[in-house]
Amino acid sequence: MSSNNKKWFSLDLNKKTDSCDCGKTSDGCKSSSNSYPHQSLHQISDADFDAAVDTEIANSYKKDGFEQVFDVKMDRRSAFKKLAASLAIGASAVSTSCSFIAGDESKEKSQIDWEEQFKGNYKLMSDEEKQATVDRLVRSYQLRTGKNVSMSSKNAEKDVLFGYAFNISKCQGYMDCVSACVEENNQDRNSQMEYIRIHEMKDGKGFNFNEADDNYYHEVPAEGHFYMGTQCFHCDNPPCVEVCPVSATWREDDGLVVIDYDWCVGCRYCMAACPYDGRRFNWSKPEVPEQEVNKNQHYLGNRMRKKGVMEKCTFCVQRSRAGKNPACVEACPTGARIFGNLLDPNSTIRWVLENKKVFRLKEDLGTEPKFWYFMD
Amino acid sequence: MYLKDNKTMRNSYNIIYDLIGIFLFTGIFYSCKHKKDEYHSVTDKIEAESKNYHGTSISSDAYIGHIKTIEITEGEQTFLIPERKSQIKSYACTECHTKSLEKMQSKGFKKAHWNISIDHANENTMNCITCHDGKNMDNLSSITRKSIDFNNSYNLCSQCHTKQFEDWKGGAHGKRIGGWAPPRASMTCVNCHNPHKPHKPHFESRWPARYNTQKLKERE
Repeated sequence: MSSNNKKWFSLDLNKKTDSCDCGKTSDGCKSSSNSYPHQSLHQISDADFDAAVDTEIANSYKKDGFEQVFDVKMDRRSAFKKLAASLAIGASAVSTSCSFIAGDESKEKSQIDWEEQFKGNYKLMSDEEKQATVDRLVRSYQLRTGKNVSMSSKNAEKDVLFGYAFNISKCQGYMDCVSACVEENNQDRNSQMEYIRIHEMKDGKGFNFNEADDNYYHEVPAEGHFYMGTQCFHCDNPPCVEVCPVSATWREDDGLVVIDYDWCVGCRYCMAACPYDGRRFNWSKPEVPEQEVNKNQHYLGNRMRKKGVMEKCTFCVQRSRAGKNPACVEACPTGARIFGNLLDPNSTIRWVLENKKVFRLKEDLGTEPKFWYFMD
Repeated sequence: MYLKDNKTMRNSYNIIYDLIGIFLFTGIFYSCKHKKDEYHSVTDKIEAESKNYHGTSISSDAYIGHIKTIEITEGEQTFLIPERKSQIKSYACTECHTKSLEKMQSKGFKKAHWNISIDHANENTMNCITCHDGKNMDNLSSITRKSIDFNNSYNLCSQCHTKQFEDWKGGAHGKRIGGWAPPRASMTCVNCHNPHKPHKPHFESRWPARYNTQKLKERE
């Protein structure tokens, strides 16, 4: 990352003016791996700080994170809110940097908080910036909990378009997929958020979602019923993306509709716009017992979310981009779920689309969901 | 005077008609296109974009390494299925079945396979030797007494279950092993279905894995 396309100003709290015993001139003696660069070596005074911010903004030829936050039309209230949040982080950064008691770790923590506050939209980031934010998040998790996670920022592969098929004659309503999904995607345990819904429908009534039961608890399969799963359909023409006022959700090149949890403002327009009830909102702070946290994470996928942001099925981006099947496909004991690359003419998903009688929900809306249903 | 007025009016009508015509004509061109996309539907897009498909760098190899597989080609499909013989506890069968079945059925021999009872179709249609070869116990046997290897036992099932066989070959029936990416590895029939009791025990009725008590509260 060169200095002229960096999208935020680095505070460099861990910088020491003199080199330390270990001989390192950059970083604190203890902190081992900081993948993001440091530029200034001097301790900051207020004047220097302002000057540095000015030059930093002047140097950047792309809109940096600060501008992405503040260079938009907003009312006074939200402007003050954002300013206050940023100032709070700034203040804590300044206080830790001035304090003699605060250790390297707390300085590093407030530096990470600062850089995370002013990072740009993930969608607009270069690969290096994506890697940097992922590194910061991993380090931040390590500082807060003392545990390590691995987080990926793997981009969409060329010549891949993900698609899904669901066999309604095979599904028996066991809900193993729902369980696997919750565990894989680190969903909040208290609110029992679930991306997948299995609708128990009466035979002979058609697809009547109003009368279907999506929270049954009795032995399955129940006599005279069939089961139909819904989740995010990853529309090719997604209405949820259209309505997002801050571009926090978008369609990736491999067809996945994803959310930048750090850019989402939680307005829930997308939730209202989705015709399939595919999106979920974090009303409370999502919590997962430490031993149950899935540590194989992706920035756009199952990393820990915060309160007040949207989330939804990502076709397990952390798995699918690595060549694995989503957790629901792997967990299904009946083989009702089929996943694959729509652009590969030899893939099983293509065989299903070409040889079975497939349909999608609400096809007339033009949303082009990439989730097909079929029967034996 | 009156005539002239009429003529100019007709001219202006013509211009209006022309304009409407042009609008409609251009409208046809623009309305057929979605915003940025050049395709009318996602299926058109899939068809067009997969014409020059050259494969990807993503592979499932790492996820199927832990099981022993064999490659099969059936019709247009070539894929991997789990190897079977090493999974059968008492294979090779000839370790016990040293003589042909008729000779071993005579008195004086201990009864074996007491735990296997056949509940597949009915007695008129099937018994042990519909699939097993009484003369060569190490292999299976088709209805026309052609030998079938235990590893390719799907060839037995496909004699009757033709529709399921077609779906399985294509990938609509059965489960994938590993990931979605090539090479494809799929479970074979006997990995999910017990050939002696095909409806049991795998798809019995049971309780769902989950019950959302929170959802229940919210809806009260």
